[in-house]
Amino acid sequence: MTKNIKLLATGSCLALAVFGASPALAVGTASGSTITNTVTVNFQVGGVSQTASTGSNAITVDRRVAIRVQETGTVTTSVVPGQATAVTTFTITNDTNATIDIGLTAAQLAGGTAAHGGTDNFDVTGLGVFVDSNGNGTYDAGTDTAVTYLDEVVADGVRTVFVIGGVPGTRVNGDVAGVTLQGQAREGGAAATQGTVITATAGANTAGVDTVLFDTAGVVAGDVANDGRSSDDDDFTVSAAILNVFKQSRIISDPVNGTTNPKMIPGATIEYCIVVSNGSGGASATSVNISDPLPAQTTYDSTYGIFQSGTYTGTAPSGTCNLDGTAGGTFSAGTVSGTLGTVNPGTTRTLYFRATIN
Amino acid sequence: MRILILLFLLLSPVSGHAADAVALDSSVFVEREVPAAGGKTKIVLEEPKVVIPGDRLVFILQYRNTGTQSAKDFVVTNPMPAPVAYQGTSDTVAQVSVDGGKTFAPLASLKVRETDGTERAARPEDVTHVRWVLREPIAAGAQGKLSFRGVVR
Repeated sequence: MTKNIKLLATGSCLALAVFGASPALAVGTASGSTITNTVTVNFQVGGVSQTASTGSNAITVDRRVAIRVQETGTVTTSVVPGQATAVTTFTITNDTNATIDIGLTAAQLAGGTAAHGGTDNFDVTGLGVFVDSNGNGTYDAGTDTAVTYLDEVVADGVRTVFVIGGVPGTRVNGDVAGVTLQGQAREGGAAATQGTVITATAGANTAGVDTVLFDTAGVVAGDVANDGRSSDDDDFTVSAAILNVFKQSRIISDPVNGTTNPKMIPGATIEYCIVVSNGSGGASATSVNISDPLPAQTTYDSTYGIFQSGTYTGTAPSGTCNLDGTAGGTFSAGTVSGTLGTVNPGTTRTLYFRATIN
Repeated sequence: MRILILLFLLLSPVSGHAADAVALDSSVFVEREVPAAGGKTKIVLEEPKVVIPGDRLVFILQYRNTGTQSAKDFVVTNPMPAPVAYQGTSDTVAQVSVDGGKTFAPLASLKVRETDGTERAARPEDVTHVRWVLREPIAAGAQGKLSFRGVVR
């Protein structure tokens, strides 16, 4: 601080001296700006206006280093077993009143509670960090580039980063993989080079621009407040179809009794109903195809045909096949084939056909 | 923090009444909350060693009549440094300007015209100048202190 007493006159000039006038930033006055306060007094002595006196002092704005790593969105990222590229998105904000680099480290939880309440029980494969190179907010394989740090992020700068990984095909509905992303404030100034870790100015005030670390504590262990780091977490939750398949049969008629109390004798007609149910809480199963090789002791009833996507009443296998499907499917080389299309969670679809006992 | 000592150029000759002068001293402090006994916090004024955006500053203007006669029509004008937003003063005689020093009045009575033409009550951050008009003459050798608050934008 300067204390200087000025007796020098400047006439009517109000010396408004602001060096390094700062742009209006949410993060505030740029580091290194000088705040100069100048005061002027006008007065009279003996009825005569005197030359004005001025006094001033100047202080330099120091560097306040703060970054924010934040998960984009507030819900888990739903993935399916075998998904090669599961993507979760983070936003990195530079709240520093200067340009800095931001180092990035992604990690996986080893058990414990994940970001959205589930229990972490698997790791994704090939965990990687990619920056949204084209700025469209969506991960584009081959366009967005893998990074270990963000280069030269300006004050108030915001970057989108994707943490990606693969989901093993063996994972089942409800499995959770927790991930974390931690940012580390690093010195900027050299493009395409990751700067050194920024540390707070130790000890006494220095003549230059001092550094104050001003971040809040993050979720990663050891990421405390005012350490130049920021972190957040997210998780992948497996959403798989919970499919169950049952095969029901009933006798329609026999050559002796007809349709009245038919018996399972050679020449009798049997109706087979294949029931596919998808449990509640899972994912929709699409392109559900069925192939059913007929027992050698039966002959396919081509006059009845095959019916697909019928409904079912009750709980398989004790419910009733409603026989309300649409004709379709094929019979070839002793195998009945058909499709049920999409089976949504909590629903059941059927495929049915008839055969006779040899 | 860098300390700058500003030397103001003499733009016009000093009048013959060099003794009829007023000395001015502008100083600035940072207001900080520090822990105090009993789990409370107290506010202390510190030398502005480390100043970062959001810090609260207190500007103190000290004047002294170093001349041999009393000075009257004493008007102290302080333009707000651009990186500092005005936060008020406890000096009841202080007036402020929101138009670059053209007009002065108490803040509550000032209006600001938005770019879209609408008019709204002036807010502290709109203040461009602070001014004190002292009614009483300042006797030779007398001194006083004026202050206002600001926050680093």
